[in-house]
Amino acid sequence: MPEGYLPLFVFLIVALLFPVVLLWAAALVRPSTPGQVKHEAYECGIEAASNARGRYTVRFYIISILFVIFDVETVFLFPWAVRYRQLGWFGIGEIGVFLLILVAGYIWAWQKRALEWV
Amino acid sequence: MPGNYMPSAAELFRFSPELLLTAAGTLLMIFEAITSPKQKRSLPVFAFLSLLAALALAVAASSDPGPAFNRMLQVDGFATFFRVLVMAIGAVTILISTNYLKQAEHEGGEFYSLVLFSVVGQCLMATANELIMIFIGIEVSSIATYVLAGYLRDDKRNNEAALKYFLLGSFATAFLLYGVAWIYGTTGTTNLSGVRGVLLDPQNAPNAILISVALGLVLVGLLFKVSAVPFQSWAPDVYQGAPAPVTAFMATGPKAAAFAAFLRITMWAFEPVKNHWIPVLWFTAIATMIVGNFAALRQSNVKRLLAYSSIAHAGYVLVALTAASKTGTEAAMFYMVSYAAMNLGAFAVIAHVARKGERRVEIDDFAGLGNRQPLTAAIFTVFLLSLIGVPLTGGFFAKFYVFKAALDSQLIALTIVGLLNSAVAAFYYLRLIVIMYMQPAPEGVDTLPEPSLGIRTALVACSLATVVLGVFPSLVLDIAGRGASFIR
Amino acid sequence: MTLLELVLLIPAAGFLVALLLPKGNPKLVRNFALAVSLVVFLLSLGLIGAVTADPQHMQFERSIQWMQSPAIRYHIGVDGLSLWLVILSTLLTPICILVSWNSIQKNVSLFYAFMLLLLAGVVGVFVSLDLFLFYVFWEISLVPMYFLIGIWGHDKRIYAAVKFFLYTMAGSVLMLGAIIWLYVKSGSFDIPFILDSLGKGRLTLGASEGLWLFLAFFLAFAIKVPLFPLHTWLPDAHGEAPTAGSVMLASVMLKLGTYGIVRICLPLFPDAAKASANWIVVLALIGIVYGALVAMVQPNMKRLVAYSSVSHLGFVVLGIFSFNHFGMDGAVYQMLNHGVSTGALFILVGFLYERRHSLEIVDYGGVATVAPWLTILFVITSLASIGLPLLNNFVGEFLVLQGAAVANFPWAIVAALGVILSAVYMLWLVQRTFYGATPAAVKSHFTDLSPREWAIIVPLVALMLWMGVGSGSFLPAVRSSNDQTLNLVLKSTYARQSSPPAELVGRVTRPDLKESADAR
Repeated sequence: MPEGYLPLFVFLIVALLFPVVLLWAAALVRPSTPGQVKHEAYECGIEAASNARGRYTVRFYIISILFVIFDVETVFLFPWAVRYRQLGWFGIGEIGVFLLILVAGYIWAWQKRALEWV
Repeated sequence: MPGNYMPSAAELFRFSPELLLTAAGTLLMIFEAITSPKQKRSLPVFAFLSLLAALALAVAASSDPGPAFNRMLQVDGFATFFRVLVMAIGAVTILISTNYLKQAEHEGGEFYSLVLFSVVGQCLMATANELIMIFIGIEVSSIATYVLAGYLRDDKRNNEAALKYFLLGSFATAFLLYGVAWIYGTTGTTNLSGVRGVLLDPQNAPNAILISVALGLVLVGLLFKVSAVPFQSWAPDVYQGAPAPVTAFMATGPKAAAFAAFLRITMWAFEPVKNHWIPVLWFTAIATMIVGNFAALRQSNVKRLLAYSSIAHAGYVLVALTAASKTGTEAAMFYMVSYAAMNLGAFAVIAHVARKGERRVEIDDFAGLGNRQPLTAAIFTVFLLSLIGVPLTGGFFAKFYVFKAALDSQLIALTIVGLLNSAVAAFYYLRLIVIMYMQPAPEGVDTLPEPSLGIRTALVACSLATVVLGVFPSLVLDIAGRGASFIR
Repeated sequence: MTLLELVLLIPAAGFLVALLLPKGNPKLVRNFALAVSLVVFLLSLGLIGAVTADPQHMQFERSIQWMQSPAIRYHIGVDGLSLWLVILSTLLTPICILVSWNSIQKNVSLFYAFMLLLLAGVVGVFVSLDLFLFYVFWEISLVPMYFLIGIWGHDKRIYAAVKFFLYTMAGSVLMLGAIIWLYVKSGSFDIPFILDSLGKGRLTLGASEGLWLFLAFFLAFAIKVPLFPLHTWLPDAHGEAPTAGSVMLASVMLKLGTYGIVRICLPLFPDAAKASANWIVVLALIGIVYGALVAMVQPNMKRLVAYSSVSHLGFVVLGIFSFNHFGMDGAVYQMLNHGVSTGALFILVGFLYERRHSLEIVDYGGVATVAPWLTILFVITSLASIGLPLLNNFVGEFLVLQGAAVANFPWAIVAALGVILSAVYMLWLVQRTFYGATPAAVKSHFTDLSPREWAIIVPLVALMLWMGVGSGSFLPAVRSSNDQTLNLVLKSTYARQSSPPAELVGRVTRPDLKESADAR
């Protein structure tokens, strides 16, 4: 059994060696001139207006989390759609239950005023 | 063919407790959203009743044992035993919580809904006959518990506890899942019976090293969940920070379910290679008992003290697992029941004494409780004596069966270490009794209100269970014995 | 329900009832506890007839299955060995309740409830014939004593209570391990059954296995006795306990240890007992001399009496491990004597404390001038404790010394030193407390004995005299029980040695001794 994994280990070793060798080789040939400008986020283009760790209002988070949840949940509809014919009425029932639970979550979020902006 | 996907009526019946709890949990969310504040009073009652109904269904389902959903689940005596246990734990948690949440001004259906979902996950862990199902069960149970740990979101300690629990818990499940992948890679199946079949097949035996690594990764995940050394460091912080009723729940329910999965994996799937995991558990058991007990000696916060004590108790259960026998499995099952009774009870008392904002959780806050509320103090003493392991309490027989199983398997050194540890443990439990009875309450201490109806019910139920387990242990041990019959 | 069960269960029921009695009425609880304990005492007297008629066999035996797996039986019975210890416990409980009549004012109902629970616990230990049941009662008796010291004790009570609990617990967990091991080997907790299995060869213990099991049991018992060097909890526990707690501790609970040695260690592990006898006796001898020497320099009365207990209990262990009839009979008799005389000493010290509120000897002096009757009774009790002829301890100590001399003469010489030293510390205590100049505080505070105090102390002093001159009433039952134990111990030696020493055989059947004892 473990012999079957041999290519995988070779792959792993090559994958580790490759960047190490490349960086090492580059360090040998490149000139080294560190400077202030090189440490900025964008070496060229628009200068950063403020720190990236600034604060946003919490509503952004709530909205984005709600979006992610409902977005990810709908992914589960795809496998059902693919096997729609084979699953038949059983599939319809199952996805109905699934959607009902989603709707319950939606009602809860709605009533908790998570969807209101103001 | 569509028929292949269609679960039979018998399978649905076997799975009905989980279905019922899921439906109840979802309904609770909707009720929470659409009812008036006054109507919300009945939400905990609804949650409590649905847990009792699910419990009845679980008992009824045990009359028709068998597999369900393509052998993903296995409803047998073992599953029923742990299902009933975690549901009872959930019910008691609800009893403890109601008044606590009212004091914290954080009443809400979500809390009870999360408890129900967590219980569903734990039921799944107990019933699963499939590594993926165990993983899903752990996730369902854990994610709900992470939220519960941080339920009082204005409380900094709650937030800290929830975040720590979430990060370390996810870390542990990642290990587990990685181990599952290795198992699938080496044996070609994730079904526990399938794994067992492969390991038993001499023609097709998988490589010993690969299977050890796979098992090791799974064990890391499980040991994390039961807070065994060296993966115990999260427990004290999380137990201390979470609301007291949630701590009661976390220390008993998920732990019992984790041990159920632990037993299924070690004593069923990997039983053929038990020589690989017995030494690991041997060391872990000793280290867990010693670290838990000795760290508890120095604690001044009662919740933290009980957190370390629960680490130590996990060590005793690991002794039973190390015995790797049917008696050991029975002992572990019995231990979880009596541990749940006494620990839930002890945390109920703490939740009662701590009150709003949990400002009274230092040991000194229990001073004079023997005079201020004699009955509460007496019941707390019963739990503490049971945690020590004094005869005529459940804790005594729990330890007794564990050490008997260990001696049956010739684990003499482990038994001696365990016995000495239980003497050490007496010291820190005694400190609480000393404070309650032998030190007067400080001057000007505010009066402690009478315990609420929920807490009173929980205390009576837990203390009755503790005493009954201590006088007639065979009532539960016989059931455990039938449940452990999957071990041959 | 047999008489013995009533003696065991009435106090246990009394414990529950006392807890439920209304809290605001201490008088009711006191009277209730006294009534219960007196009834139990009278009932326990009913045991005497049947047991003395046939002390070799268990009387009032009762055996019910408690649970099937593990096979635990509720198996109790009483024979010549346990009979007097049971009666000692039931006698001292009402006395202790009377002693606490006025001095206990805090949590009154809890106090008397614990006294009754303690009685149930110790009687349970004495009558259990199932190792598991024995362990259960052993631990149960620990809990009330812990609270008695911790709640109603003196200043350092918490330290003393925790130390007491932890020492005993540390010993008893190892005993639990040994009990489980025996169960795993034999499939039973039943002491008669295990003995039978050992005798018939159904169960054999390897030499080292037997030794380890013996040591596990012996450690638990030795801590309780307490045997030097495990005695350090005792002075603290005694020094801090309330009077009733000290009395029950010294008179009854210490005997649990020595009783356990005779009832369990010797019959079950005779070979290991013989193999360990030498070093155990050395520890006992050290205890005798050391206890006496330390008692001599104690400034605190209770600690003095506590150290004297270490010395006296050394005699008991010495007698047991002499492995002959003199020593064994003396040891068991000495258990009873120590119970009566040291109990009385603690009570009398308690009387002094109630008057002067001090346990320091320097605070006293010249008490004889203000309380002559108290002085007389204290002197009698002290003389009994020293071992004056005609009083109880003389008989026990004499038999123990005789047994030690037969076994190994130098032992007896060292032990005799302990007797002499006991005279020194007791008489010196009497002299400093009751004679000499009378401080003003003593003069103004002291009254002589009240009727309640008379009622407490007279039965004990009478018993000291009776046990001193009428040992024939008590010893025969003890002796026939010891016959069996000794037979087991000595027989196991024959099994290993091809030719049993002739003098040992003679000593077991010993018709000559019976006559001499009767003459005495």
